[in-house]
Amino acid sequence: MSDTAAPRARHAKHAKSFSRPPSKPRSGSSRGGRTAGGAKPASLWSDAWQDLRRRPLFIASAVLIGVILLMAVAPGLFTSVDPYDASTCRLGDARQAPSALHWFGTDNQGCDTYARTVYGASNSLLVGLCTTVATVAVGGLLGLVAGFRGGLPDALLSRVTEVFFAIPSVLGALLILAVFRAGTVWTVTLALAVLAWPMTFRIMRAAVITAKSQDYVIAARALGASNRRIMFRHVLPNSMASVIVVATINLGVFIAAEAGLSFLGVGIQSPEISWGLMIADARPRFLEAASPLLFPAAFLSVTVLAFIMLGDAVRDALDPKLR
Amino acid sequence: MRVIKGAKLVAGTTLLALALAACGNATSTGEASGAEAVRMKIGEPQKLFSPGDTVESEGAEVMAAVFAPLVKYNDDKEVVNHVADSIKTSDNKVWTIKIKEGYKWHNGEPLIAQNYVDAWNYAANQENAQSANYFFGRVQGYADLNPGEGKTPSTKEMSGLKAVDETTFRVTLSQPFSQFGTMLGYTAFYPLPKAAFDEGTGKITDAYMKKPIGQGLFKMDAPYNKGTDQTINLSLFKDFPGDKPKFEKLQFKVYTSAETAWNDLQAGSVDIQEQLPPAAISTAKAELGERYIDQADAAIGYIGFPTIASRAYDDIRLRRAISMAIDRKTITETVFSGTRAPADDFLNPLLDGYRPGACKACVYDPDAARKLYAEANGPKTLELGSNMDNGHKEWIEAVANNLRSNLGITVNVTPFEKFQQILDELDAKKYTGMFRSGWLIDYPSPENYLTPVFSTGAIKDGSNYTGYSNPEFDELLVKGDTAATMEESLKYYQKADDLLLRDLPMIPIFYYRMNAAFSENVRGVKINLLNQVEWAQVEKVV
Repeated sequence: MSDTAAPRARHAKHAKSFSRPPSKPRSGSSRGGRTAGGAKPASLWSDAWQDLRRRPLFIASAVLIGVILLMAVAPGLFTSVDPYDASTCRLGDARQAPSALHWFGTDNQGCDTYARTVYGASNSLLVGLCTTVATVAVGGLLGLVAGFRGGLPDALLSRVTEVFFAIPSVLGALLILAVFRAGTVWTVTLALAVLAWPMTFRIMRAAVITAKSQDYVIAARALGASNRRIMFRHVLPNSMASVIVVATINLGVFIAAEAGLSFLGVGIQSPEISWGLMIADARPRFLEAASPLLFPAAFLSVTVLAFIMLGDAVRDALDPKLR
Repeated sequence: MRVIKGAKLVAGTTLLALALAACGNATSTGEASGAEAVRMKIGEPQKLFSPGDTVESEGAEVMAAVFAPLVKYNDDKEVVNHVADSIKTSDNKVWTIKIKEGYKWHNGEPLIAQNYVDAWNYAANQENAQSANYFFGRVQGYADLNPGEGKTPSTKEMSGLKAVDETTFRVTLSQPFSQFGTMLGYTAFYPLPKAAFDEGTGKITDAYMKKPIGQGLFKMDAPYNKGTDQTINLSLFKDFPGDKPKFEKLQFKVYTSAETAWNDLQAGSVDIQEQLPPAAISTAKAELGERYIDQADAAIGYIGFPTIASRAYDDIRLRRAISMAIDRKTITETVFSGTRAPADDFLNPLLDGYRPGACKACVYDPDAARKLYAEANGPKTLELGSNMDNGHKEWIEAVANNLRSNLGITVNVTPFEKFQQILDELDAKKYTGMFRSGWLIDYPSPENYLTPVFSTGAIKDGSNYTGYSNPEFDELLVKGDTAATMEESLKYYQKADDLLLRDLPMIPIFYYRMNAAFSENVRGVKINLLNQVEWAQVEKVV
């Protein structure tokens, strides 16, 4: 994916970098560069946005993600029951079928499944977002350095990532989380990020290696641009596309991974609410009461699906080959 | 609970958790030899096998098939001689035990009185670090074998233990104890053959612990490699003199999850399961009919306060408040589908001495609880630790929710992978939160609910994990133990019970019930007071 995204980036920058030399005395923001290239903003990103806006896949996933984000940020808008208040659970009312009072029924502890499902969104999204940010920051930065510098730093970092690739990810996460007795959003994020950054690193590194040998980089170097400037002004923006695509898809994967770890009992712990935890709690009595398992599972699936669809849409928009 | 000709009780000092904890995951392979065997689910034994070191229920289940105890217990919880021909005493201090003739070890040696003396001396010697060491504490000369850490015992034999002839041995206790005879059905009191000991060091050999030679119904086919072996295969010992079951092969299958075992039982790939997962119980009766066993059980489930490791629980009012905030009735009905009964005493209703409603603080009263908790200025955050397997998670969550809503505090549930882990951390004083616990008796005496769990002496050697230490309580136990009659003993035990009810070092939550099931391949499965199958009655359906 990175290989196909890079060439397209190249073309876009190409025109841009030629327009740049005259403006050298100026601060040379990319905006300045772009407008100098033509009246219409024809950069990779604006192109992609134009393209995305018209895609039903993107619109559908964006709406879904919007709703889930809203749930995560303001669960109170969706339900008046606060599931973190234990007095809303009555053990005597356990395992009730869905009704007007309890839309999704009640779980094994007599808590309202709907309220818990809504409140569960925030931990899942938090883990997904934080892990994505961490992997992009760490993997992206190291990938940029390794790809750009080559030589010893590249060799070292590449070997390190290979070590991480050799660790089966669920097993690795279990090991890391076993160190902490009580799992929290942050320990789960840590465990997932530690194991996931090498993938971002590799994609970034490959994209950077492709980008750094391009004409516009050579031109910039000939014009006397410093390494740092070349790295952040020219190479980085042209290498980001594939990382963003992977990050978007991975966000969904991380949410699923969090649910998986919580399900296994090493992730987020009660009294925190997480979809994985709800599924784990409901599983032993699935035959007696299915709704406490099915609803969080459905929310989880839809959320993960939405992020993967979004990733697909973004990739289509950024990848010229599929256009 | 019924027993068959002699009932038996055996037990394990088992912290139940272990027992119940064992459930597992399993094995679907290895059926080849199991095709015609009767297969029973167990959890992984905690240690290799040796009478003095097997104190948890899973290992004890295997031991009970390989060994025959001196006494068993009948339906009325009375002692019935099994291997013992007679057990006599005139003063509750000197006990003369005569064994029946005709018992043989699986290797052909005859069973002699000296085998008991050797085994008991071995278990009582601190050098051998046996978990059941504590059970011999009443025998005269025990102190010589246990001079304390760092010191070497001056002898290898207890002065109070002597073989009189081939079939008779005499036990002298340091103080009279009216229930000594009752204790003898426990795993720790099994004998050991000469072949068990290494000739050079005098220690029990590893080879023996992997493949114990017993004098019971079944002999082991092959050494058990703990950790790798998922099955333990046994064959009927033809020379056993008593009643024998009507099948030849017995197989224990090691599971880590009760749910998996239950699925296997329904599919017919395991035949007997002793404790069904809670979720299975509501449907098991309808599904299995006669093959579902629901009987009262001598075990108690508690929540304990580590008063030895933390000052946070020192205020009795706080402990009372926590106890009153727990809705035992709803928990037993909803979470356990009625297969537990709300606890209201430190003694179990199965045995004499139990008084209904004795625990006033076990009555659910959220308002009073909240008031009392505020008076005691209880902490805003409490920790509640439990192993989460075997269906403990659900009721622990329910208790946590009770405390959260009735006391208005934060309760963090700390998961432990295994019950043993809680015990280890409590021992090391690393864990200072409340913890779930359970107790299954080793022999049917009310004393067994008190001494091993709450006496000062049991802090070091026994199962007193709360660190409760009350001289008055200890003294009452001694009075009870040395009283001439059972009625008199009971009075003292109940007084001791009263102190526990006042001090609440642990709070009783529920009485267990035994919810077992067996497949269509077997008939006549009975489970005794010690939660062990009475193999002699089991039939294989062809």
